[in-house]
Amino acid sequence: MHAERSSKEAALAALYDEYYDKIARYIFVRIGDRAEAEDLAGEVFMKALESLNSYQERGIPMQAWLFKIAHNLVVDYLRKMTKRKTVSMDTIQIESDVNPAAVAEKNIELEQVNKAMEQLTTEQKEVLRLRFFGGLTSGEAGRVLNKSDGAVREMQRVAIEKLRKLLATDS
Amino acid sequence: MVNDFDRILDECIEHINRGESLEACLARYPDHVDQLEPLLRAVIQTKEAYSFEPSMTAKSVAKQRFNAALERLQQRRLEKQPLFTKLFARPIALATVATVLLIIVAGYFGLRPLLYPAGPVPHHEGNFVFLISDDVNAIDDFASLNVSISNIGLLLGGESGRWVEFKPEVKEVDLTLVQGDKTQEIWRGDVPEGQYNKVFVHVASVSGILKETGASVDVKLPSEKLQISKPFEVTSSSVTSFVYDLTVIATGTPQSGVEYILMPQVGQSGAD
Repeated sequence: MHAERSSKEAALAALYDEYYDKIARYIFVRIGDRAEAEDLAGEVFMKALESLNSYQERGIPMQAWLFKIAHNLVVDYLRKMTKRKTVSMDTIQIESDVNPAAVAEKNIELEQVNKAMEQLTTEQKEVLRLRFFGGLTSGEAGRVLNKSDGAVREMQRVAIEKLRKLLATDS
Repeated sequence: MVNDFDRILDECIEHINRGESLEACLARYPDHVDQLEPLLRAVIQTKEAYSFEPSMTAKSVAKQRFNAALERLQQRRLEKQPLFTKLFARPIALATVATVLLIIVAGYFGLRPLLYPAGPVPHHEGNFVFLISDDVNAIDDFASLNVSISNIGLLLGGESGRWVEFKPEVKEVDLTLVQGDKTQEIWRGDVPEGQYNKVFVHVASVSGILKETGASVDVKLPSEKLQISKPFEVTSSSVTSFVYDLTVIATGTPQSGVEYILMPQVGQSGAD
């Protein structure tokens, strides 16, 4: 039992460097706050460490399990911050050595994409977040969402087609 | 047909996630360019809009917290295991081999634990705390400077003149996070009382990332064992905190090439 636990701990530690960034990006896309996204990404690994005894690898790889934990933490966070639903331009901080005009243009692009993403269904948004920002394969995303690979790929295509039309209309 | 296109689109997204260009993806599927290109442009536009690189400081702090929690769990697990289970929970053949190995190892290390029963024991209410700090020199050149410590030794003075050694609970410290008065606790527990004269840390590895270029840089050590002479006392009636100060120094010039060396700082090290 101890050997199994040790092996899971080693597997979790080995994922840290690569998946911290992916999880932080996934969380940032959902909550729009960089600092909170970094904090919550660290929290994902702490929760994973606490819950390792309940993790079984049959059916779901550990990296996909981490995203399930991230999803739950985001839900808890958003529950506390119910007023924040979209990324406000005010929350984008201007770095002191960056061209303000470039930052303003980036903020407009972000607002545009954010508005388009809001038009997708919850499942479509989640597929795109896990694929584009979490870097999961469609198979891994399927295990997080309890869907087949084929279903995820179809949802992905439909979501992107809708996103493309919305972005083309807005621009 | 739709399933085929879904698969092709999915593969292209996979390639884009790995950093491949749009043109390279389209070149793989020339028959589907008209359908693929607008969708992949929407994918790229979305990824770029949300582009976000987590800060190295935040990642490093979170990783240290994670590693510290992992070390504590592993230590608690070791403490909880009864000796009987450790030795005899396996098949007899393995237990026999394990017993033989134990005798060899004990002989190699000179039966020290039997002669000196009060060896270092990690404990959250111990009489000794070991901390690492950075004395500011060239540390500002670094975005991160991770030092891995595999062993710590304290030299007991007097007739015994023996080394009290233990392994840190927190094995890796980023010196950029412990500059000046800041410290990182890496071990807490009980050590034998007495007057100590010297301290060493055994550095397993050093890895630095330069702030300006983001490049990895080689940081030299005068020796893997960094030793300082510093007298201090440990008693059972109080907690002694020892801060071991390290510093990174830059030598050379930009023209000839800058080299970095990690050294102990006797002057700033010591016990409270």
